Amino acid sequence: MEDLPGYFNMIKIENISKTLGEFFLKDVTLDIENGTYFMILGPTGAGKTILLESIAGIYYPDKGGIWMDGKDITNTPPKGRNISMVYQDYMLFPHLNVEKNIAFGMNIKKLPKKVIKEKVDTISQTLNIHHLLHRFPVTLSGGEKQRIAIARAMITEPKALLLDEPLSALDTQTRESLRYELKKIHSYSKITIVHVTHNFEEVFSLGDSVAVMNNGGIVQVGNPDEIFRRPNCEFIANFVAVENIFKGKSTVNEGISDIIIDGIKIVSTTCNSGYSVVSIRPEDILVSKNKIQSSARNSFNGKITDVIDKGAIVKIVADCGIPISAIITRRSFYDMELQEGMSAYFTFKASDVHFI
Amino acid sequence: MAKKSRSTIKILSIAVSLLLAVFILVQIICVVTHTTFSALITSISSKELQFAIELSLITSAISTLLCIIISIPSAYALARYDFVGKNLINTMLDAPLALPPLVAGVGLLILFGTTSFGKALAEVGIIFVFTPLGIIIAQFFVNVPFMFRIMRGTFQGINPRYEHVAKTLGCTDAKAFWRVTLPLAKNGLLAGSIITWSKGIGEFGGALMVAGATRMKTETLPISLYLNMSCGELNLAIAAATILIAISLSSLFIFEKYGGFARVF
Repeated sequence: MEDLPGYFNMIKIENISKTLGEFFLKDVTLDIENGTYFMILGPTGAGKTILLESIAGIYYPDKGGIWMDGKDITNTPPKGRNISMVYQDYMLFPHLNVEKNIAFGMNIKKLPKKVIKEKVDTISQTLNIHHLLHRFPVTLSGGEKQRIAIARAMITEPKALLLDEPLSALDTQTRESLRYELKKIHSYSKITIVHVTHNFEEVFSLGDSVAVMNNGGIVQVGNPDEIFRRPNCEFIANFVAVENIFKGKSTVNEGISDIIIDGIKIVSTTCNSGYSVVSIRPEDILVSKNKIQSSARNSFNGKITDVIDKGAIVKIVADCGIPISAIITRRSFYDMELQEGMSAYFTFKASDVHFI
Repeated sequence: MAKKSRSTIKILSIAVSLLLAVFILVQIICVVTHTTFSALITSISSKELQFAIELSLITSAISTLLCIIISIPSAYALARYDFVGKNLINTMLDAPLALPPLVAGVGLLILFGTTSFGKALAEVGIIFVFTPLGIIIAQFFVNVPFMFRIMRGTFQGINPRYEHVAKTLGCTDAKAFWRVTLPLAKNGLLAGSIITWSKGIGEFGGALMVAGATRMKTETLPISLYLNMSCGELNLAIAAATILIAISLSSLFIFEKYGGFARVF
């Protein structure tokens, strides 16, 4: 295939197909502009990992082409692409200690020892893993391993960093700190990141753009807000049905934040100003037929648009100017005799409003 | 009732396994205690056994090396790639395991002794029939499936993503194999080499057919055992047997320690 000089600032994927056993890609076309934090969202088996591996050059597509900065790299081996990859299960080389793992790419390129040492020191300090340099991977926690895997991938100064569900195997706390770290890495390095996930929260907190994948193909591409608000098919609507995630402008006053979302004000005890994304867990929302007196600072009246029976619990969705979902027990659902079309009050504490 | 029958089975099965263990142990003890210690030392230091030990060590070391060199690429190919005829090749590579070594020896003898291929090799000085080279080729042929199976199991157990990562960090396919996969296969390689070497030292049937049993020429330890047994030199025969037992048991120990994950069968 020919080079495409017009597309000098992006990874351009055109109509690639690949079959690998039961996994496959079908006519995938994507433009990933340089410097973007690009998310690929989809369920297990959607073909997300093969897509990443095709970008990295592990597999060559059966048909279609890939260009990087206008240069055809469809059949270039990984060595010639300068694209790094990090897997969910870290894949740290068990026979090498942390320092040698991080330095691996530089050792392959036969850089001078002094340069390698300096680079390893710098990156391991940035990622807060300097104290682990002499340990072996088997002795480390998941979060530590993933930081090391990221350091190993970043140290070669790649043009793009591919992350295959990098946060999925971690516990909530570690996941949050690493998510913050990824954001930081992206903002200071301005590197192109392609991040595969099945978690919509990650898309919202990290992604500039997102492509939704299903059955080996791309279903929709856009910015996270667009995908969330205007899913183009039922599959996406169901898949991104993460309740109560709102984007708005937050201002801090006397230790509390007021977040304005589509003209509605939500109060949070976490201080964070500027454009932000907040979430409220459906089970933290109290539903009542009449306004209740309580210390909770957020209370909205809305019309019930949906009642979803989930067995022991019932999910109530209402339009309060913003769509709010709440989960109540079957018992209280019957006690209140709630129905679609009825109006009800939705109340939650300011401390239950989380920034993501 | 159910409880009682289960405990009967427990006692019975343990008893049988115990009997089997005793049976094996008794045999080993019978061999090593058949002569006195000083007779054993005298025999081992005899010229004939010194020759047999040396020949066994050299031939088995070379045949093991050959097994390693051939098994690593073929095991890697069958563990990593899908290709037409893969099942057939797998079966063929396992075949010598099921073949009696004596039959394998006959095959090798015919190949190198009667075909034009064998004759062409003989003309340029590579003679297998009735030479130590024949011992090496017999050891190789009979034992290569062990090495191959252990390495195939080892490579199958190494996640290919290690290689993928290495390649994105600048390795060629070959370099990724050399820097990552092979070091990770170290234990399997060690276990495979030990078992192959130990079986090579003990190889008798195949070697007998190709290389014959000529005193002080193609006389390895097992051949020496056979020759001395047949002409009544019991002390020499026992000495050879004792050395073989020592080698087998110690290599079994090393194999169990490092190769537990890569069973032969």
